[in-house]
Parts: sequence; structure tokens; C-alpha cells
Amino acid sequence: MRRLYIVTYDICDPKRLRRVFKTMKGFGAHVQLSVFQCDLPEIDVIKMKAALVELINHQEDHVLIVDLGPTEGRPIKSIESLGKGFTQVERQAQVV
Amino acid sequence: MSEEAGDTPLSVTEEPLLPVRMLNEFAYCPRLAYLEWVQSEFADSVDTVEGRFHHRRVDESPKRQPLEDEAPADTETGIHQRSVWLSSERLGLTAKIDLVEGVGTTVAPVDYKRGKRPHVGKGAWEPEQVQLCAQGLVLRDNGYECDGGFLYFVGSRERVAITFDQALIDRTLELIAGMRGMARSGAVPPPLVDSPKCPRCSLVRICLPDEIGWLRQEHADDAQAASTLRRLLPARDDALPLYVQQPGARVKKDGECLKVVDHDEVLAEARLVEVSHLVLFGYVQVSTQAVQELCKREIPISYLSSGGWFYGLTTGLMHKNVELRRRQYAAAMDQRFCLRLASRLVQAKIANCRTILRRNHMAAPATVLQDLKRDLQHAGQAQSLEELLGIEGTAGRRYFAEFRGMLKADGAPPEFDFEGRNRRPPKDPVNALLSLAYAMLTREWTVTLHAVGLDPFLGFYHQSRYGRPALALDLMEEFRPLIADSVVLTAINNGEVQATDFIRRMGSVALTTEGRRRFIETYERRMSQEITHPVFGYQVSYRRILEVQARLFGRYLLGEIPNYPSFTTR
Repeated sequence: MRRLYIVTYDICDPKRLRRVFKTMKGFGAHVQLSVFQCDLPEIDVIKMKAALVELINHQEDHVLIVDLGPTEGRPIKSIESLGKGFTQVERQAQVV
Repeated sequence: MSEEAGDTPLSVTEEPLLPVRMLNEFAYCPRLAYLEWVQSEFADSVDTVEGRFHHRRVDESPKRQPLEDEAPADTETGIHQRSVWLSSERLGLTAKIDLVEGVGTTVAPVDYKRGKRPHVGKGAWEPEQVQLCAQGLVLRDNGYECDGGFLYFVGSRERVAITFDQALIDRTLELIAGMRGMARSGAVPPPLVDSPKCPRCSLVRICLPDEIGWLRQEHADDAQAASTLRRLLPARDDALPLYVQQPGARVKKDGECLKVVDHDEVLAEARLVEVSHLVLFGYVQVSTQAVQELCKREIPISYLSSGGWFYGLTTGLMHKNVELRRRQYAAAMDQRFCLRLASRLVQAKIANCRTILRRNHMAAPATVLQDLKRDLQHAGQAQSLEELLGIEGTAGRRYFAEFRGMLKADGAPPEFDFEGRNRRPPKDPVNALLSLAYAMLTREWTVTLHAVGLDPFLGFYHQSRYGRPALALDLMEEFRPLIADSVVLTAINNGEVQATDFIRRMGSVALTTEGRRRFIETYERRMSQEITHPVFGYQVSYRRILEVQARLFGRYLLGEIPNYPSFTTR
């Protein structure tokens, strides 16, 4: 079962910030500065948390993971977007 | 108290030391222990990943002096030692203990568990108690006094004290003996029946408890009865393949992603957690870092010519399940076994061809359908593989003679006229598409068989063709019409591939890069399509069905189920 998450972070050190950004690229789509939209099964959420916990400084940094519920079967109503639209990412095999 | 366990003769010399963790699995489910210990199967689930995450502190190698130097010398020193690795030759056990605490020579093992403390008697399930007790016994054999230990539940941050009383010690010894007996007997224990333990077991996809349990019974042909089966397989596949066919492109690893670049231009980025397979057409480069990462994650890399011919495969280490391959080699020597299996596969293929014709042909001639039905019966009575090959050939010609009728008259331009099957090289666009689709399916099956631990090159029906993935070709037969032919029909009838997408060279026909890209997308859509499993009655994608069929085939070879359930749709 996949769920949609919004992950935002505030990292105090530029080196750690880059690492967190690179790690987050592996789990979700980069929508805004320090904001990722992730459509993940439970197992990958744990992998993501494990990777982040290892990276950040627990005294200075802050990562917020917001769970928006299951992706399948119903539209995500908790998001209202002004300006540019919010798109849910389609999953399909990539051919380049 | 320590002498009682000490007198029991359990000495094992020939067999490897039994990890105490395995004892936990054995107490949970003997089949799970057999799969992990004897067949070396392993798969991650939410629980194992989370467990590893919580264990990361205790698994770090000890930074302080090892236990032996510290404790016995000075009886007053407190012991607090992480990740202690000890063995007992007498019990034939080896244990990695998360934490050992104590004073002097009196110690207690502490085992970290994910999740919350279960509200059951003694505060823990039996498998955990037994595991802890075995750790205690190993400590005793190494000269410590140990009458109890603790289970620490990370989820609720609770410590549960476990006393090693006589009953628990007896039970532990009994389980050690049971596990040894099981490993020595070489027979895999049957799956649990409708057990609540199965849905959260990490090996459920490998074990297939409900499916195997059902197929072992006599009613294997009554499809209705199975529709009540639990669906233990995940509904959707979380990972998808990545195809790279741009000549000169390079695939690199970038953090947790794969990056496809051409000179300085980024063509695509794919998250590693979402990639199931990397397929490279022609001259595409991969960095060593990417290869290593993919091997580590057990994601295979396939190399194909720019036309789609399958050259080879990079995987991590070979699958550890030797027992399965040994059975496969033995079975391939048995002529009667080969014939029985082959005729079943050919029957399923003819049945599926007939279904595809009935479904897609605007006016399928009744005589052809009848002929195919007769071929199907003949295939069941064939006396040799040669005879079977003849029957299959005849049925194939009948089927392809009607193939044109399944292409939409208005949608398909005259370029898509189809007279009959030809190949090496294909002489018209439809044959070119069919050849590519079969090549893709062969690759898919080769990779799947490799991944479940079978040898794709040793077949049962395709014995005569050397140097080809014979087992992949065998098991693929029944899926040719369902997947490959159906994809070709969809691509042409929906106009996804058009007459302009082909290059003609001296009588042979090939696809352009752009045409192939669209065709691969059609193919992948088909593979993701969910259909009702004809035997088990739940909905799964074709991608997952290939894996299930491969695993069931393995179970058939190991003698767990009486027949290979071939795949036919209605």
C-alpha cells in the first residue's frame, strides 16, 4: 500500500544539506526548495527515515514528514495549490 | 543449574554451527527456518528493514576491550558489552548477542526487538524466549553464570525479564534437536495452514503458503474452490524496469538515484528503490559505481544489441539455493518427467492461442477453433518430444494463419499485412514486432528464473537447442500469446506503432528507436496490467505472475506439489 508524504527539512550545515537533498532525491519528487513529495510503500518510508536519521544533526536540524494518506483509490483532498498546479506523479516504466 | 543442560549429548561435528537467530525462526515456523537455513533464501520485509534499523547501534563492532579479557579477571567490574559473538561447540550453536550485562562472571544477555511488548504470558512470544535462552546456554558454555536475560522492546521501550527455568531450557534443547533433524532429513516442512503468522512473514512471497497448501490437495483442477485464497502477494509492484537505448548514453549512480546522461544533458533520473531491472540496448555505458550498487541491491542488468538481441546479464552473486538447481538437473535427465511437463506446457500454449483468437478475431472460423481443440487433446497424448514438437508446429501454423484477422481492418494500413510467421530476419513489420516481443519475454523469463535460483539454460522441452535459455523458453510458451502477441495486437490496433516506425533493409525489417520506445511502453503496460489469477482467484499483475509461476515450478521440482499449474486464461 503506497501513501503520499510531504517531507520538508531545515538543515543548518550546507554539507549536510546537500547530502539530505541527494538522499531525498532517491525517495521523492523535488517540488520546492526543501520540500519533497514522496509516494512510498511502508518499507521505503522506513528506509528513508533510516537514511535521514544517520545524516542529520539531531540538535540542529529538523525534518518533518507529513503523511497524507493512501495514494490509490481516492484523490488527495488535503492539498490545495495556488499558482502552479499540484500533480501526482504517474508511475510507469522509463524508456530513454 | 548449569550442569543439567551440560550433560545432554548434542555434539555435532560435521554440520555448521547453528545461528541462534535460526532457532527463533524454527520456533516461529519450521518451514521458514528450512528456507532460510538450508535453502539460504532471504527477503526483506517492513519488519526486517525496521529491525535492522533499530539494531544499528548494537550491531556496531565493540569499541572496548573484548569480554574475555575484562570480566573473569576482576570480579567487581560491571560488564556492559555490545555485539558479543560467542559459540558453543557442545551445543553446536553460535550466537551474536546484542548486549551482555552483568557483574563479574554473572551475566545476562539482552536482545533488542523492534515493536512493542506483546501482551502475552511471560511478556514475550516463545520464539524470542527460546532465542534468548539459547544465548544464555552459549554464555554458560563459555564459563559464565547466567540464569536469565532481558528482551528490550524498542517500540515501547520496555524491558522484559526472562528466567531460564528448566521448562524453557528443555524446550530450547528440543528445538535445537528438531532443527538439526529437519536439516538432516532434507525435506522441507509443509507450509502453515491459514496461519495469521503468514501475512507478515518476510518470506511469504518465496514460501507461497496458501497456494502450495491448496495445490497439494487433490482438487487441483477445480478452480472455483481456490477463489477464497488469501492474497498474500502485494497488489502492486513497487519497482519497474529502466530501459536505456540512446546510443552513447551513460548510466551513473548519483546518491540514491540512477542518472542517465548523454554528454552534459541529463536524459533521465530513476530512484534506485523504484528500479527493478536495468535494460541496456546497444552502446550504453554503465559506471562501476552503478554496477556495484545494482549488484548490492540485487537489481539485474541486461545487455542487448541495439536491435534487441539478448547478450547477457549482470547479477550479484549466484542464487544460494543449490538444492533447487540439483533437483532441476536430476529432473532434466528423466525423459518421462520431461514429456509430462512439456505436454502440459504445449497444451496451455494452444489453449491460450485459442482464447486470444476467440477474444480478438472478428469472425474466427469455427473449424480453426475446433482444430486447435483437437491439437490440444493430441498434445496431451504425445508419446515423445518430437511428436509434441510436430503438434505444436501444426497448431502454431493454424493460429498464425488467422492472425491477420485480429488486426483491425481500418486501423492497420496495408504495411501490416501478415501472411505467416517468419524470422531471422523478420521480413515484415508484424513479424518484426512479434520477434521483438518474444525477445523481451525471453529476457524477462531468463531474469526471473535466475532470480528465483533456477538455471535458465537447462530446459525440459527445448532440449535440442543449445546455447539458448531453454528453461526460459519452456516456461514462456504459455505466455507467448497472452503477453507478446497481445502486446503486438494492442500496439498496432491502437496506432501506437505506425508504418513510419520501421526501417527496411534488403528484405529485413526493423523498428526505429522511437518506434521501439513506444512499443516497449506498450509492453510494460501489459506487464503491469492486473488480471485475475485463473487458479487462485486473486488479482495480480503479469509481472508478478511470472515470478509466482517460476516459484511454483521450483516447488514442483522439489516435489512439494504434484503438478505444475500451467497458466491459462478464459
